[in-house]
Amino acid sequence: MAHVFAWLEHSPLGAFTRSLGVWSYGVINLAHILGIILLFGSILILDLRLLGAWRQVPLAVLSRPTTTMAVIGFILAVCSGIPMITVKTTDYIGNPFLFIKFPAIALALVNVWLVHRSPAWQAHFTRDLLPAERRRLARGAAFSLVFWLTAITSGRMIGYW
Amino acid sequence: MTWILRSSIAAMMLAGVPAYAHHGWGGQEEAVTSLTGTVVEGVSLAGPHATMKIKVGNDVWDLTLAPPARTERAGLKEGLIPVGATVMVRGNRNLDHAKHEMKTIYIKQGSTEYHVYPDRE
Repeated sequence: MAHVFAWLEHSPLGAFTRSLGVWSYGVINLAHILGIILLFGSILILDLRLLGAWRQVPLAVLSRPTTTMAVIGFILAVCSGIPMITVKTTDYIGNPFLFIKFPAIALALVNVWLVHRSPAWQAHFTRDLLPAERRRLARGAAFSLVFWLTAITSGRMIGYW
Repeated sequence: MTWILRSSIAAMMLAGVPAYAHHGWGGQEEAVTSLTGTVVEGVSLAGPHATMKIKVGNDVWDLTLAPPARTERAGLKEGLIPVGATVMVRGNRNLDHAKHEMKTIYIKQGSTEYHVYPDRE
């Protein structure tokens, strides 16, 4: 694992990111935070709706903008996160929070995939959902909140280890 | 409406706490330690904090400096202190003495002084 970390740090991207000047880390960090705001803000609204809040708002009306913004936020977070971790990767050797954060993101993405391929999700675009379908999506929303909050919490704690 | 206002104010106050903890020196000793050693890795102004490494006896110390822009304002530019140079540093070492890590307040190389955190001297 230390080998992988050293390889990342010594990669051309690491050297490039380190060469960008004294404000670069702060600016990239800002992009990462904006990405997380978009991602989690959108997810929170959608998940709370799936869990039963704001029933008067049709799900299909809410799901499109929140999903789009979450995807944009995720891309921004990944594109800023990768250069950030290459700056001083070897500093993170032995940091346990990395090993909570990345599996949590993986689980969150698997959950997204499972929800989106479920018949309940497919059906919500065209008709009102049956109670069993609502329960299926509510379960996905609960997992989503747990996984993303775990990822965000452990991500924030990386710097405090 | 007032509860929204009140909880927003409470949330904003709480949100300030971790930021303070992060930039505070909670994990460091109160006492100031002085070290004299040779530079093994010069000042790096990349990352959340500037860093350098010095060798004292057989131990390599990780020196944590201020955020890059502040470190640069203190006069510490990359490449200014060469590898192999002898430096005297003062700072607060990590509470965990197994770690040779210090938050650095002051660096002196020859007759040149760098005041990284003048308010802590």
